Amino acid sequence: MSPAFGIARRELRGGLKGFRVFLACLALGVAAIAAVGSVRVSIEQGLVREGATILGGDAEMTFTYRYADEVERAWMEEAAEAVSEIVDFRSMATVERSGATDRALTQVKAVDAAYPLKGEVLLEPDIPLADALGTARGLPGGVMEQVLADRLGLSPGDTFRLGTQDFRLTAILEREPDAAGSGFSFGPRTLVLTGALANSQLLVPGSLFETKYRLAFASGAELAQLERQAERRFRDNGMRWRDARNGAPGVTRFVERVGAFLVLVGLAGLAVGGVGVSAAVRAYLDGKVAVIATLKTLGAEGRTIFAAYFLQIGALAALGIALGLALGAALPLLLAPLIAARLPVPAELGLHAGPLAEAALYGTLTALLFTLWPLARTEEVRAAALFRDVAGGGRNLPRTRYIVATLVLLAGLVGAAAWFTDATRLTLGAAGGVAGALLLLVLAAWGARRLARRLARTRAARGRTALRLALGAIGGPGGEATSVVLSLGLGLSVLAAVGQIDWNLRNSIATELPEVAPSYFVVDIQPDQIDGYLARLESDPGVEKVETAPMLRGVITRINGRPARQVAGNHWVLRGDRGVTYSAAPPENATITAGVWWPEDYAGKPLVSFAAEEAAEMGLTLGDEITVNILGRDVTARITSFREVDFSTAGIGFVMSMNPAALSGAPHSFISTIYAEEAAEAAILGDLARAYPNITAIRVRDVVGRVAEILGAIAAAVTYGAAVTLVTGVIVLIGAAAAGEAARVFEAAVLKTVGAARGQVLAYLALRSAMLGAVASVVAIAAGGIAGWAVMTFVMEADFSFEPVSAVLIVAGGALATLLAGLAFAWRPLSARPARVLRDRE
Amino acid sequence: MTEPILSLADARLTLAGNAGPVEILRGITLEVGRGESLALVGPSGSGKSSLLMLMGGLERPTAGAVRAMGHDLTAMNEDALARFRRNNMGVVFQSFHLIPTMTALENVATPLELAGHADAFERAEEELASVGLATRIDHYPAQLSGGEQQRVALARAAAPRPAILLADEPTGNLDTATGAVILDLLFGLQERHGATLVLVTHAPELAERCDRLVRLIDGRLATGEPARKAAE
Repeated sequence: MSPAFGIARRELRGGLKGFRVFLACLALGVAAIAAVGSVRVSIEQGLVREGATILGGDAEMTFTYRYADEVERAWMEEAAEAVSEIVDFRSMATVERSGATDRALTQVKAVDAAYPLKGEVLLEPDIPLADALGTARGLPGGVMEQVLADRLGLSPGDTFRLGTQDFRLTAILEREPDAAGSGFSFGPRTLVLTGALANSQLLVPGSLFETKYRLAFASGAELAQLERQAERRFRDNGMRWRDARNGAPGVTRFVERVGAFLVLVGLAGLAVGGVGVSAAVRAYLDGKVAVIATLKTLGAEGRTIFAAYFLQIGALAALGIALGLALGAALPLLLAPLIAARLPVPAELGLHAGPLAEAALYGTLTALLFTLWPLARTEEVRAAALFRDVAGGGRNLPRTRYIVATLVLLAGLVGAAAWFTDATRLTLGAAGGVAGALLLLVLAAWGARRLARRLARTRAARGRTALRLALGAIGGPGGEATSVVLSLGLGLSVLAAVGQIDWNLRNSIATELPEVAPSYFVVDIQPDQIDGYLARLESDPGVEKVETAPMLRGVITRINGRPARQVAGNHWVLRGDRGVTYSAAPPENATITAGVWWPEDYAGKPLVSFAAEEAAEMGLTLGDEITVNILGRDVTARITSFREVDFSTAGIGFVMSMNPAALSGAPHSFISTIYAEEAAEAAILGDLARAYPNITAIRVRDVVGRVAEILGAIAAAVTYGAAVTLVTGVIVLIGAAAAGEAARVFEAAVLKTVGAARGQVLAYLALRSAMLGAVASVVAIAAGGIAGWAVMTFVMEADFSFEPVSAVLIVAGGALATLLAGLAFAWRPLSARPARVLRDRE
Repeated sequence: MTEPILSLADARLTLAGNAGPVEILRGITLEVGRGESLALVGPSGSGKSSLLMLMGGLERPTAGAVRAMGHDLTAMNEDALARFRRNNMGVVFQSFHLIPTMTALENVATPLELAGHADAFERAEEELASVGLATRIDHYPAQLSGGEQQRVALARAAAPRPAILLADEPTGNLDTATGAVILDLLFGLQERHGATLVLVTHAPELAERCDRLVRLIDGRLATGEPARKAAE
């Protein structure tokens, strides 16, 4: 057994006194990350296991604005054991009663008799879907979500209308097996049979709809091989493939992103905990100076001593990490019913080795990172410390090898986080943010100490004993200013950043967007309806502006004859179909940045004007040829101009605009935006819906509300994550207060001896705590503000404005937390008898 | 003797120890006259420091009475005792007991400030100058030598012009030469301000400088004799 091991073992017999904060900090950080990871893996495994149910089949082939053609249909019939066709589109459900009309936006899913291929639809009352959708008493049946039925004041048995077709509401749609795979929808779901829509005037050429063909294969079918086959044959027709291997890619991506973000917030928590860990190790080793000096006197080398204390701290760190893992694994299991109920996707919450190992790695790296420097100081203790009061060699930085090791550990931690979260930029940003906040806090603590020292000596402080004492204590040597400002400040910084980002996002979506966005977004206006439509609106004084544009959708399949993805990678413009319009003249608000628009009467080969920013990202240049599959037909057009398109105002913006001759022959409809006064909105909607029952008007304020709701849920999740960071910060703070208790007891004893009453001592202790808390809070607001600005400006590409309410709450909360921690530890200093305290120190 | 400035009547002190209650002081009856200097001597553990703490109101007797300047210290609460010390007593300890986060000047100014003196800092500066530390007023205790720290502690004790100076082995942590300087300062202060001095010490030559010597053995008074006379 090595001497270091022996020393470590004997020293550890002393117990864990003084290491409660150390253990709590490490355990909490590890637990938070382990819990987030466990929930994420549970969801991901649920998505994989239930992939086919979520998707509604083993595979799905999607087409835009058209049904599958005969060749495509034949391939499906041959490859699959069963095929189900679904038509998905937005529409308005209307109800007329006693002369008044109620309307609500709905996402209609028109199905065939084979639906659902996988899983089950649950209705209330619990009747079979076929019965619910079948025709009875001359009216086809339909089911809708409770929220929509409530909005329209419907109950089973009532009648509603889609387009020009009446339906009888037969049941409420409680659960749709493939709901999670459907992605974002503008309105609640209505389910009807496709056949029943024949007379609705909704599914006509040019209407905006998607068809989805769900395929069920024989067991053992090779999905990857089938995908390759289908892609090879039909991709250029605008077909998109999804299969059960990833039934809900949107949800998967979302869970990955939120999971990654929460892990990063958890890492910030670990960093806060690291401050506490470091302080605890420092305090422990300060108390061991005499032991270390004695060991040196007895002949122990520096590295033996380092190893002995490294082993002790290592054993304690292992214990803290193990506690954290146990807690992190147990929490999702304990809260399983609660978590599962709130998730829109199936998740079997259980034990997962992967996320626990990941959390253990973070915990180990963090523990090493924050204990290495204090441990390195053990080598600096000289035997002379026994005879003189010298703790170290006066060196501020540890030896080079420890600095190098620290840098390696830091790189390892950031690298591991980037690797596991698969979000390098976000990780680097977060690491930079935490490092920046730490630096800012250290600087602020230094600045606060200097300022306090100066203020303590000003005439204004004289005579105000408590204030002067507090300022003197903050500014004096060996003060705990730095550790308190660091511990609380970092936690508050994370919270402040979350607060600023959350408010700015909500503000930009809920307040700023509606100011520039149109009132209504109208789709499915047929070419023969556009004149009447415009006539109604242009004569209305409440309408400020109407924009219309022909609208087709297409998939970019090739660029200069080569597969588009080979040229431009996985750019968002290539993912799925994009809107395409045509126009003889450039739009009024467009700025041509390069090239020229075609002459108004141009009728030659197809030409296209492309959005400038996206073109630059995709590496397109003037003269390039892009092939767009529109309604199954390839249109190859040459790029003759680039133009600025602003997608942020929710107005009409197309990536591609072609010359009219290229597209006007294809069946299409118009889309339109209406900018109107809020008071005029209802009448406009009423008139338009009555005159053109097939069109769908989407109220932008409602969509904004839906988006804000989703953002609210994400913000709540992140706030919980930030709360863990803050709790860790408070624990570190309590640790710091506890560590300073002995010093406070002594100060109080001396102050009482020279004539201070308890009230004066208490005022001094309270002021000192509150001022330190205020410093931490002010820095947190600055750091949070900078982080918020950086995220809004560089990640969200939106405006940032400082939000004062959460900032004030954070300052107040920070000062209060420190004050309470300070007061909690003021009891002993106030109650201790001076004689005993002072005698103990003789 | 004129009216005593300090008086103890059958003062007892019992403290809780690991092995049960420990009797530290077993019925001390003692009077100290105004302007007198008194040395408390005796072996370690005899209760000298505890007796000094009772006189300063820093410790409460378990039984008996402690009066200072006509006030019954046992009847006062903690705050009243603090206020009494602020105006009437200065205490010097063996380990100096300066507040480490305060400069020398701030340490000395604190009791003056607590006593409500508007010119606390000016007086503190004068006091530090009188103990030879005019150039060290902005130093923190850790930046001062032991002797310098004790001089700051002396200045702090003397600054409010207390009627009573209590010193608990003020040279115990200092070398002989530095200790001699401190003693000269201490007795100088006492004489200059006409204060009463009670001094706990192990050093016979130090005790000899006092008017009277009281020996404690095992928590009881052994003798009470004029120190100077005893030395003659």
